[in-house]
Amino acid sequence: MLFLAAEPSAALTPTIDQAVLWAIMGCPLAAWGLIALYLRKLPAIAGYAAILGIGAAMLLSYVTLFNVIDASGGVAQYTREWFTAGDLTVPIGVRVDGLTAVMLVVVTTVAFLVQVYSTGYMQGDPGYGRYFAHMCLFTTSMLGLVLADNLFQMFIFWELVGLCSYLLIGFWFHKPSAAAAAKKAFIVTRIGDLGLLAALLLVWTRAGTFDVTAIQEWAASGEAKSALVTLFALGLFAGAAGKSAQFPLHVWLPDAMEGPTPVSALIHAATMVAAGVYLVARFFPVFEASPDAADVVAWVGAITAILAATMALVQTDLKRVLAYSTVSQLGYMMLSLGALGYVAAIFHLFTHAFFKALLFLGSGSVNHATNTFDMQKMGGLRKHMPVTYWTFVIGSLSLAGIFPLAGFWSKDEILLDAWRHDRALWAIGAVVAFMTAFYMFRAIFLTFHGTYRGGEPVDHHDPDNHFHGDPAHPHESPWAMKAPLLALAIPSIAAGWFAYDHMFKDFIEAALPHEGHHGSSFEIGIAVSSTIIALAGIGTAYVIYIRRWVDSSSIRATFAPFALVFERKYFLDDLYEGLFVRNIFYRGWCRLLETVDRRIVDGVVNGIGQVGRAASSRLRAVQVGEVQSYGLGVAAGVIIIFLAVIVANPL
Amino acid sequence: MTPGIEHFLTVGALLFCLGLAISLSKRNAIGVLMGVELMLNAVNLTLITFSRFAASPNPVSGHTFVVFILTVAAAEAAVALALAVAVYRNRETIDVDRLNLLRS
Repeated sequence: MLFLAAEPSAALTPTIDQAVLWAIMGCPLAAWGLIALYLRKLPAIAGYAAILGIGAAMLLSYVTLFNVIDASGGVAQYTREWFTAGDLTVPIGVRVDGLTAVMLVVVTTVAFLVQVYSTGYMQGDPGYGRYFAHMCLFTTSMLGLVLADNLFQMFIFWELVGLCSYLLIGFWFHKPSAAAAAKKAFIVTRIGDLGLLAALLLVWTRAGTFDVTAIQEWAASGEAKSALVTLFALGLFAGAAGKSAQFPLHVWLPDAMEGPTPVSALIHAATMVAAGVYLVARFFPVFEASPDAADVVAWVGAITAILAATMALVQTDLKRVLAYSTVSQLGYMMLSLGALGYVAAIFHLFTHAFFKALLFLGSGSVNHATNTFDMQKMGGLRKHMPVTYWTFVIGSLSLAGIFPLAGFWSKDEILLDAWRHDRALWAIGAVVAFMTAFYMFRAIFLTFHGTYRGGEPVDHHDPDNHFHGDPAHPHESPWAMKAPLLALAIPSIAAGWFAYDHMFKDFIEAALPHEGHHGSSFEIGIAVSSTIIALAGIGTAYVIYIRRWVDSSSIRATFAPFALVFERKYFLDDLYEGLFVRNIFYRGWCRLLETVDRRIVDGVVNGIGQVGRAASSRLRAVQVGEVQSYGLGVAAGVIIIFLAVIVANPL
Repeated sequence: MTPGIEHFLTVGALLFCLGLAISLSKRNAIGVLMGVELMLNAVNLTLITFSRFAASPNPVSGHTFVVFILTVAAAEAAVALALAVAVYRNRETIDVDRLNLLRS
């Protein structure tokens, strides 16, 4: 096995050359520049340039991974000074350790497969070149984020991934809903980023460094006041909550599904939304040093997990089911981090990236055949799209946590950590696990089983319509789309097996500055109970949607108030839009600013002008155009000056 | 009684005031010019007077100044009369009250 060379507790320094690390970032960046400058009008080549650039980064990431494995996950860091301004010295550098290596591999692998898939899915789109340029820029930014060795550099890439997310959600910007979703995502995450910026400033003024290791040591050493560390940790978490769509900032992620489906798979399932989890994990010692902050993380994660899971129960849009599922799983990871289950959280991030990307790509494949994401218009696709169906089932089983698929191992570790930390957290996690299994199989049964309900008819008069197939006769997707599905099915099954003999745990823990127990591996009681819970969820879905012993609409009628709350997303969108945006922001703050602008700012400017006009209209009377009047004025003036001098200097 | 400095200065001042009064009150541009000439010569008289009576270290400078003013006055008279002719050709009047095109 891969990790057998690793000696626990003997972390070495990886020997990887820093040129390789910079090249990992550089390859997609070069592809971006090439596409953006030269290939936007040459779509045939643009896709291959992106695949090539990201593929090269992927190969280098695997080289890095194996190198770090040889060093049992130790830390290598290459830093130099970037610029100095007064007391502020900003370093620039790369850092690689177990955590970084895992993230590199996840990001580049998923990005690569998504690019391959996109060449099929985006075929014929007028923005084809632009699409790949944005994707390359995103990949670069995400790799920069995980490679950064200091908080400042991280912040730069953090904002860059946010920008790319905005550009790609609004990729079809001529659709008003897409443009609005892009703005919503950008603004909501920016609210969280304010916290991250505050944390950045705080750590600079109090610790005097941006370096990751130095900050970890600063927090762990106890030389800073614990309230200060808590404040810093909460600032970091605010940023992470925005990016990772944690309650109450989760509202942007479901709307982000307006973007192309491969974008959702890469950015809003596998990588960018995991950046928040990564950030908290990167600064895990800070959260260890502040139990209050860790509790906040755990409970926000738990609330997010259960809220999102309940909302996923009632969605009729396949992609939105997956979106809420992503929010829910990200809540799981945060819960785990808050319960001090560092390893479990990263392990779940690792496995989740693969099976959630698989599920998103599967939903895109379904959309490719039916021209819709509405599950009420699907059904019976199992016969038409066998590859999509089976890979989707694998992804769903993995997400539901069925032995021996990837999700089983990581979810179990999270539940075990939650159990040891706080039984209430475990209970929430268990309920969420049940719901997860239920809504995923509800989606499968509605989409792939039963009889086909016709899809969405193609509107040939719509100029935005680029759908080429025939929704009435769905067909399997081309190989460019099937191959990534099959490739992602492998890690969706097997990625969890790295839990064997604590391999993943030892590898990841070496990234932390000190020894300790950060999570556990396996306990048979938890494993059995969670498997039973997941099977119960699947069984419930089977009973309702296949056997139809109970009619789903009668269940909805029985629990109508709950269903309404879930469907209206807990009224959070109404609260934000209606109360905060319309009333407090528009009617209050903007009205106030408008008054200040109109009355005071404009008033001063107009006032100056009016004084000038009034004065000049008075002075005009003096200018009569008769030279003798002027002469008289001059003479009178001279006489007045003369008299004044006499009076001032009496003889 | 020999006339002293105060007599010369008084004459100069009176001449200047007369010239000023003429140039401010005459409607005819030629008349205004004549008033200006009178004022220039009143100034000349005053300069000569100071040059003659004041204990100046260099008495010639006053005379020099006067000669210059005479020269400039001659040139000014030539230009001004030419202007008057040009204005008359354009407007058929040299009444300064009616030459108020620069009125706002």
